[in-house]
Amino acid sequence: MSDGLQDIDVYAGAVAAMARALSDGDERAFRVALSTFDTVRDGEVLTGIRKVAVDLQSALQRFEIDSRLIGLAQREVPDARRRLAHVMKLTADAAHQTMDLVEQCSPLAAHTLHEAERLLVAPATSALPAALAADFSAYLRRTAADMTAVRAQLAEVRLAQGYQDLTGQIIRSVMELVDELERALGELVRLAHYGDAVKTEQTGTRGLHGPVVPGIEHGDAVGGQQDVDALLSDLGM
Amino acid sequence: MMDGQREINFLVVDDFSTMRRIVKNLLHELGYANVTEADDGNTALPLLKGGNFDFLITDWNMPGMPGLDLLKQVRADSRLAKLPVLMLTAEAKREQIVEAAQAGVSGYVIKPFTAAILKDKIEKILSAQAAAA
Repeated sequence: MSDGLQDIDVYAGAVAAMARALSDGDERAFRVALSTFDTVRDGEVLTGIRKVAVDLQSALQRFEIDSRLIGLAQREVPDARRRLAHVMKLTADAAHQTMDLVEQCSPLAAHTLHEAERLLVAPATSALPAALAADFSAYLRRTAADMTAVRAQLAEVRLAQGYQDLTGQIIRSVMELVDELERALGELVRLAHYGDAVKTEQTGTRGLHGPVVPGIEHGDAVGGQQDVDALLSDLGM
Repeated sequence: MMDGQREINFLVVDDFSTMRRIVKNLLHELGYANVTEADDGNTALPLLKGGNFDFLITDWNMPGMPGLDLLKQVRADSRLAKLPVLMLTAEAKREQIVEAAQAGVSGYVIKPFTAAILKDKIEKILSAQAAAA
């Protein structure tokens, strides 16, 4: 306001000076007074433009934040949950497919092992020349040993598919977190647009469940099955 | 392989079908042919109450009814109170193991596990049960 009053005083002074210059016929003085008038007027216009620019920038920034929040709440966060669900499905499918293949291969290895053992004890090599019989017996022994190893490794492959359970539990806990994030973002967007009271709904305890994840605090976890056994033994079990 | 002990009826409870399949196959390889599956405590409990199960293997962290609640329900049921219950879970915190022990769990195996550990725990629980009988 004080700037406005000062401007009016300057305008008044400039107009009075211009009137005096006109009555005196002093063109130079008139032009000086007119220049003063223009300078003040230009300053007012510039101030106005600057204010409009600041308001526009603020509005644009607010619009960008709002758009980002709405995008996160309505698209990206639900998408993230769906992607995680998809990962769980893919890993489950892959684990089952691996176990299908293991179950198809195991009987083949078992059959080959059984046949090798049968031929080793049967007089199958008696009709063969001695050199060939020795090679054949060695081959059968090697085959039996290899098939025993293959069966054991296949059993380990199947057991290793337990990763899908462990990773799935971790993914599921992240999905619960994403659910909470989605609700919180939705609330934030609602508040930003309508200014309603803050909703203080509790999201509930999430508990301590899930496999231990490196780098994430899990409290006092045991280091392995031996620790479990020792702990249970201490408890008299 | 096929002695009387192998006629035991197992119920395997886990929300992940991959883990149920792994445990079921391991039990088959150990000679236990009678294995039924359930995906959480809510589906397992009616099976246990209505069926003739001799051994329960359950996960802990499951939607619906978690394994610890299932264990408590089993121990609270006079007909199931002595049922062997092996917890097979990724929950590895001491306070959880203590909680399961206090709720009456018969054995506790953390994931990932080996076939040898599962076999050992099952046989120990069955031996203890036979000795107590």
